Amino acid sequence: MNVKALTESGVTANESVTPRPPAKRNSGFWKSVLQQKYLYLMSLPFVIWVFIFSYVPIWGWLMAFQNYKPVRSFSEQKWVGLDNFRELFQDERFYLVLRNTLAMSMLGLIFGFVVPILFAVMLNELRGNVFKRSVQTISYLPHFVSWVVVGGIVYKTLAIDGGIVNDLLLWMNVIDEPIQFMAKGKYFWGVLTAADIWKETGWNAIIYLAAITGIDKELYEAAKVDGAGRVKQMFNITLPGIRTTVMVLLIMNIGHLVGIGFEKQFQLQNNMVTDYSEVLDLYALKYGIQIGRFSYGTAISMFTSVVSVILLFTANGLMKKFAKESIM
Amino acid sequence: MNRKSTKTIFTLLLMSSMLIAGCGGNGNNAANNTTPNNSGTTPDATAAADDTALDTSPATFTFFGADASPNWNKMQDDVGKAITEKTGVTLEAEFDVGSGGGDQKIAMMAASGDVPDIIFAKGSLSTLVDAGLIIDMTDLIDKYGPNLKKVYGENMNRLKYSLDDQSIYQIPTNMGVGQKSFDATGGFEIQHRVLKELGYPKVRTVADFEKVLKDYVKLHPETDGQPTIPLTLNADDWKIMITVTNPAFTTTGAPDDGEYYVDPETFEAKLHYKRAEEKEYFRWLNGMYNQGLLDKDTFVQKDDQYKAKVASGRVLGLISQEWEYSDGENALKAAGKDEYTYGHFPVTLTEEYKDHSFMQTGIDGYGIAITTAAKDPERIIKWLDWMSSDEGQVLRTWGIKDKHYTVDANGKREVLPEIRDGLANDTANTQKTTGIGQYLIFGARYGDGVKDSTDNYYTTSFPEQIVASYSEAEKESLAGYKATTWKDLFPKEDEFPVKETGALYNLPVPTDGKYQVIFKKTQDIVRKRIPEAILSKPADFDKVYDAFLAELDKAGAQDMEKEFTELVKKRVSLWTGKNL
Repeated sequence: MNVKALTESGVTANESVTPRPPAKRNSGFWKSVLQQKYLYLMSLPFVIWVFIFSYVPIWGWLMAFQNYKPVRSFSEQKWVGLDNFRELFQDERFYLVLRNTLAMSMLGLIFGFVVPILFAVMLNELRGNVFKRSVQTISYLPHFVSWVVVGGIVYKTLAIDGGIVNDLLLWMNVIDEPIQFMAKGKYFWGVLTAADIWKETGWNAIIYLAAITGIDKELYEAAKVDGAGRVKQMFNITLPGIRTTVMVLLIMNIGHLVGIGFEKQFQLQNNMVTDYSEVLDLYALKYGIQIGRFSYGTAISMFTSVVSVILLFTANGLMKKFAKESIM
Repeated sequence: MNRKSTKTIFTLLLMSSMLIAGCGGNGNNAANNTTPNNSGTTPDATAAADDTALDTSPATFTFFGADASPNWNKMQDDVGKAITEKTGVTLEAEFDVGSGGGDQKIAMMAASGDVPDIIFAKGSLSTLVDAGLIIDMTDLIDKYGPNLKKVYGENMNRLKYSLDDQSIYQIPTNMGVGQKSFDATGGFEIQHRVLKELGYPKVRTVADFEKVLKDYVKLHPETDGQPTIPLTLNADDWKIMITVTNPAFTTTGAPDDGEYYVDPETFEAKLHYKRAEEKEYFRWLNGMYNQGLLDKDTFVQKDDQYKAKVASGRVLGLISQEWEYSDGENALKAAGKDEYTYGHFPVTLTEEYKDHSFMQTGIDGYGIAITTAAKDPERIIKWLDWMSSDEGQVLRTWGIKDKHYTVDANGKREVLPEIRDGLANDTANTQKTTGIGQYLIFGARYGDGVKDSTDNYYTTSFPEQIVASYSEAEKESLAGYKATTWKDLFPKEDEFPVKETGALYNLPVPTDGKYQVIFKKTQDIVRKRIPEAILSKPADFDKVYDAFLAELDKAGAQDMEKEFTELVKKRVSLWTGKNL
């Protein structure tokens, strides 16, 4: 997805460079289509792809207004209006899982941005190429480890009986007895965010490193001539240089705030912490699909999608206004 | 110009190749998705020739089992090959992974209608039935199932689904008909080394159990260099029921009716946590935790961590069923550490209660169902019928003559010593190569203690066999208690009447409406609050437990109990003809 965002931003950048003839509206449009026919042809497959996989399935949303039963044909389904939504908004558990979802995705958003950017900028300052490359490779390897395995690793590391974290803290005399990290609900968000950072920092940094490579070397040379030190260069050239990339990714991620999936939570949770670990998608799975209430599940995901779209447009609008950056 | 057009052509080429690749990928996916449906087709449809004769032409059926089956060897084991040779049938089987249960997988099947030919759906059968995906086997059994009819005999009534829908959707196969257990595999467990060192103390109540663990851990705070764990339980997902919540009713003299307690006279059902006796059981666990006897990791650890602990030999006591912890115990056996394996005791809260483990439920179990995806249900029934014949049953439980068992001059079957040894000490590998015990759910079968026409037992577990499979450490412990099997310590079948309600954890419940939602909610509450109550300070226990009960009712438990009571009454009238 990140890569897609980059190419998209690249395309918009190119287009804004091309001067458009201020011709009459209608004919001008067709003229530019003709002029850029190869570009249009190139994007066609992707438009079709998006249409098939992102728009066609929306028709399944109708399920949310039915009491859907599998196998029966569409005309045999019973329509129930807004009953599913009414039930959803009356369930206390829904607000609890919404809180968890927002809390964990906000944490993910904050740390998922700051840490990889810092990491990328610092990695960029390294001189030794061999060292730099190996650090980069090692740091993004965890990205390819599945959450099932990461879940096991986290449990083993944080165990009270032989877990390395507790052993270390005990050895350093920071604590007197092992902390039950995985049994306390209030630790869950922190544990999850930390695991996520460990897993994804290296991978997310790649995109910023790529953006940094795109910065004109002459800028650095000019700065050096003007007497700017490394720290000054970092703040005045590197960070502003990747600003566009950061903004685009930020807006896109805000759009995903409520739809964070449930894989990490599913792998890390246990019965003791469900009040803090259950997220919207997990709730949809448990109270929707698992007990055969497909309509209810659809209502939840419909809610998620609508909120996502609203968030995306709000974030985009705000950025446009205050930071003069946007993706639309 | 020239350069530009070359570039364009190149781009277009690349693009179209991507497009083609994309389509190719989709095409493959579509093909993959439809295969399970197609593979049910028998290559040649000449089956209809004779009704009773067994068609042995090659046929492949797809299958899903809701229990994990890690030793499944794709029918490439000895028994599997024999089955294919005799019947022509090969199963393309898939089993649930992890801790099993199959709920999620089966819910997806019900949604998509994409089911295998044969399914072992356990508790999720009703989901499939309500989706109209399971076929009624009544007529098929009548026509093609002489052996099935023989095995179930007068119990055919009990195969019916419900009072309102008297179809036969599954044949119960995860239990043996007429089963008389020879050995106890549940109750409370204590390691043999503990029993031996403490001179075989009396273990009858939870207080005795507690004392044994406490005394031993004082003597040996470490096992093989690691801290000794007096007691640990497995609370991962549904296993919390096996080791944490179910023992609450077994120790207080109630039979296993799943999450409910059903009054045997009035058939009124209530969530079993509401019984005052059970609160006392959980209070005892709370005490165990606060004394440091219950492992602190109990409610956090995952299934594999629990098994690893059992396999390390440092857990003195368990409260579980042998099948639940056997993976860990088998590792101990394989390593020759028999003194670290476990004996079983019918522990109850106080002496006034009796362990109801051996109360008979009659025929009532999870089983095999045929789906609408099956192209040739007749062939499947015939196959299941063959599997249920004497020949099939002996093959499934004993294996192959002269390879796995021998018949002596008096016609007595005996398992070869190396196979018996392998099954006891190197279970996984032996099961993978021989296939013994891998096909038990595929067909009706008699239970332990039933003899066939040759005067041999149908199953390999009969008193002598069981004693023969005990390790030295186990025999020593039993001798210490003047018993030959663990069952000798337990209350016997004939001390209880046969349950008129059957095993109520099998009772099909409505899949739509409020019931499922309330049930799910109460389950969430149980799995959260029971650990909380056990881990609370002793002074807070009452407060937490009472709040837990109030929360259950707030979630609608009473409506659900009322609905369940109705279902129980209907089942009793269907099975016994009583008018309730």
